Amino acid sequence: MLTCIGCSQEEEKELMVESNNDGEIIIVAVGDSLTAGYGVAEEESYPALLGKKLKSEGYNCRVVNSGVSAETSSGLLSRVGWVLGLNPDIVILETGANDGLRGIDPEMVEKNIRDILFRLKEAEVITVLAGMKMVWNLGPVYVKRFNGIYPRLADEFDVIFLPFFLKDVAMKSELALSDGLHPNGDGYKIIADNIYPYVLKAVIKKENL
Amino acid sequence: MKRVINGRFLLRELLYSKKQAAIYILCVSLSLVSLIAVNSFKRDIDRSISGDARALHGGDIILHSHYDLSQGLQRAVVGLTEGKKATAVRTRAFYSVARKSDESGSLLCNIKVVENGYPLYGRVDLASGREFSQVVGAGKIVVGQGVLDRLGIVVGDQLLIGKSLFEIADVILYESAKPVRFFNIGPPVLVSYKDLAGMDLVKQGSRVAYETLLKMADATTVDTVAARLRERGLVGQERVETFRDAGSGIKHFFDNLLFFLSLISVCTLLLAGIGIESSLSAILRLKEKNFAIIRSFGATGAYLLRHYLLFVLILSAVGTALGIAVGLLVKGYLSVLLSDFLPPDIVFRASAADLSEGVVVGLMVVLFFTFLPLWRINNIKPAVIFRSESSRAKKSFTYYLCIVLGFSGLCVLLIRYLGEVSTGFYFLGGILLLLLLVTLMTRLILYFLSKIKWRRPGARLAMRSLLRPGNVTQSIVVTLAIPLALLLIIYLVENNLRGTYIDSFPADAPTLFCLDIQKNQQEAFLGLVGGKVTLHPVIRARLISINGKVVNRGRELKKRRDNLAREFNLTYRDALLEDEILVAGKRLFRKDEKGEPIIQVSLLDTVAEMGDMKLGDILQFNIQGVEMEVEVTSIRSRTRSMLYPFFYFIFPEKYLREAPQTYFAALHVESEEIPFLENRIVQGFPNISTINIAETAKEMGRMMQKLSKIVNFFAAFSILAGGLIIVSSILATRFERIKEAVYYKILGADSRFVLHIFFLENLLLGLLSSVFAIVMAQAAAWSLCHFFLGISYAPGWGACLGLVGLTIIFVVILGLLGSIPIIRKKPAQFLRQLN
Repeated sequence: MLTCIGCSQEEEKELMVESNNDGEIIIVAVGDSLTAGYGVAEEESYPALLGKKLKSEGYNCRVVNSGVSAETSSGLLSRVGWVLGLNPDIVILETGANDGLRGIDPEMVEKNIRDILFRLKEAEVITVLAGMKMVWNLGPVYVKRFNGIYPRLADEFDVIFLPFFLKDVAMKSELALSDGLHPNGDGYKIIADNIYPYVLKAVIKKENL
Repeated sequence: MKRVINGRFLLRELLYSKKQAAIYILCVSLSLVSLIAVNSFKRDIDRSISGDARALHGGDIILHSHYDLSQGLQRAVVGLTEGKKATAVRTRAFYSVARKSDESGSLLCNIKVVENGYPLYGRVDLASGREFSQVVGAGKIVVGQGVLDRLGIVVGDQLLIGKSLFEIADVILYESAKPVRFFNIGPPVLVSYKDLAGMDLVKQGSRVAYETLLKMADATTVDTVAARLRERGLVGQERVETFRDAGSGIKHFFDNLLFFLSLISVCTLLLAGIGIESSLSAILRLKEKNFAIIRSFGATGAYLLRHYLLFVLILSAVGTALGIAVGLLVKGYLSVLLSDFLPPDIVFRASAADLSEGVVVGLMVVLFFTFLPLWRINNIKPAVIFRSESSRAKKSFTYYLCIVLGFSGLCVLLIRYLGEVSTGFYFLGGILLLLLLVTLMTRLILYFLSKIKWRRPGARLAMRSLLRPGNVTQSIVVTLAIPLALLLIIYLVENNLRGTYIDSFPADAPTLFCLDIQKNQQEAFLGLVGGKVTLHPVIRARLISINGKVVNRGRELKKRRDNLAREFNLTYRDALLEDEILVAGKRLFRKDEKGEPIIQVSLLDTVAEMGDMKLGDILQFNIQGVEMEVEVTSIRSRTRSMLYPFFYFIFPEKYLREAPQTYFAALHVESEEIPFLENRIVQGFPNISTINIAETAKEMGRMMQKLSKIVNFFAAFSILAGGLIIVSSILATRFERIKEAVYYKILGADSRFVLHIFFLENLLLGLLSSVFAIVMAQAAAWSLCHFFLGISYAPGWGACLGLVGLTIIFVVILGLLGSIPIIRKKPAQFLRQLN
């Protein structure tokens, strides 16, 4: 495991190479607070639950949580290189919610996610794209434009596509923290269950390569 | 049968103690005026601050949720309003993208939908000067100036929000009910509740803050009703707060101010007591020989005690009457006199209740603080005539009973002023500890001084005079040091409160935050905003462990305030910011033998306290999937407010330069220019989010100015009153030392020599008192700031040095002035007077 990022370029490259010689599949979950597990213990976040589930099903996978709370798609775009440095076989991409909540132009969000998907494709990483739907109060025009981004890009890049990351969880008070936005432990269990078949598809794809 | 009271004796005693009695009366009246004034002002300020807190939160009780209120809470609210126990107003707040009617532009706005009657407290000022309730409603909205500037529209134009088209009826200039700690992304828009359904924005799938504000018919029921509502609310989903506890940042801030005012009340009370005790002690010490003579003629101790109790009561009554008369005389003029020093909504209203409370408290203080000096009379033996030392009081059961009773009374007063039993006891314990410490320190210093062999005759005589058996040096030092310490405590606490809250909101505080600036946008961004702007790199990471001990996330997340389980913003730089100081470690980063910084981190003191972290600790971070171990090599503190950017963890640049990062900028831009700059930024860099905090900064600045006036006024008032009490104490103790001069003159010393001895003696007394006062005040003020107020502490050594200088000057000048008449006259006259 990495313990140092404060080294010379050569040392850094050497250290950044993950030791997956034993055939372990590295899955990096990238995204915002919904991936990071804002407000819950790390072991309750969906990447942790997913990793456990894959292990219990006998898959030799390790899920790395690379979620950054409050991050927008622009922030994620700027750290794709860092994510690729983790040498992932599979990336679960969940981003855009913060752009929407800040009313950022959907055109800009689409461009950012397109660029991210392009970089991942270039690096031959299998991608699971998690779709996002914007809260209704932002207005029908904005919501329509925003919600259209994900299916369009999924088609364009032919990636594994989960239509809505917060399916069966969003707006349910019993599954959310008191802010009404972030899932609680129970909410994350549903998210992990929902995303599991899509990730499994990616794992099988990787194993068949 | 013996007469109980000898009127002639009493009258003679009163007449022959003119000077000392006058000082005693002055002390009592000054104490009374200060007590009455401080307490009545405190009540007014309490009222004013509560009013501010109500206006800020919009109600007495605030029900908050992200969903519609649960059935239980709804029923409770209906019960309160139908029973005329409360008035309720509902609000719905959310963000929405508002569009121009021709769809040529859109803007994220902070929409607040309000029911009739809003605001329950405070106000909404509109540019036209019209009443808010007369303008908003039936398709008409009011907006912040930012909406107009950023969309290029004017009042009267139309705006599309959701499915409704609204007419912009006016511009919001000021709205008191807004969350001060929250930085809004979009400009405000206020909409009538009647238009809520038409917009079709609040329904399943919307993120909305649902609030119900309550104004209680009876203000005293706020806490009990809130507690009842809390029981009905859904745990973890619905929040019930009162104006006192809503918004922890604001609460902390108000609580601190009120605590400071209580502290001043208590200090004034103690100062008054000390003044009374010292002036009475001085009177009685001078009369000890007379008492001994009277005792040798057969009078009992009880006879003397009885007469002097009456003596004190008569003088206290005169002092009280004078205090009330002065209070009433200046009452009418105080508001006018103080109008420049106090906020406009605070006036001096000393009611009859204030006056009677002042008299009762004053009497309690007089009884408690005169008990010890009076008790001493009881035990004066005729043999005192032949000795030049003070007699010691015999301590019987009654003595201890009286002490316990008096002490209990003082406890009740302190608890009443401080508002809490535990705080009252802490304070009393602290005072007793200080008293004990200063007594011990004085004894210790005097012991060491007695061991020194002084060569110069002046110094030798001055020392002997201070150290002779039965001397009053110790009591003089204690009497001076305690009030000086109390004054210094007030000053130091005031200074630290000011430093934390008031000075940290200067006029050039940032007004616009820019988030998410990307690495490749740095130069272009700086070019666009112009001027010197610091871009702070922001790297998100989690703290995994401290010295190998994993951070307990479950426990951390339960903490009401900040916790170690959340994601942190790390940054890198190699120098301290302008508002940072090192509190541990010699420099920000340590270098290895090659001159390169090792893998290390500098902590902000607040986070170091949160995790009990110290220099040399090893922290493990997870930086977006990459783990890193670092050593803590310095701890910083900061002197500015939350409006300035700050970072808990700073790394040397070399180690985080390559980590994924965005940049953050805090700019100071005039508020009217902000919308235009925001437009330019959004057009040039659509990914950058801007947060306009000009309103927040202005509001905070306004409140700080008000508080600044209150804090200044109170501190100045109590310091002035305390200063006068100290001067009177010095005057009172001065008589003690005058007789020494007489003896020197008899023995043939010339005036210069006597003055020299007096100078040295007073110099030492002043020096000892002020140094002890500084030690005590520093310890007490640090404890108050650290444990009670929870603010950072600056010791203010400049003021301490000033105190030493001023005390010495006062003590020396007053001491020397007192000895001049003795030096000028023949000693025989004084010998006659002394006897």
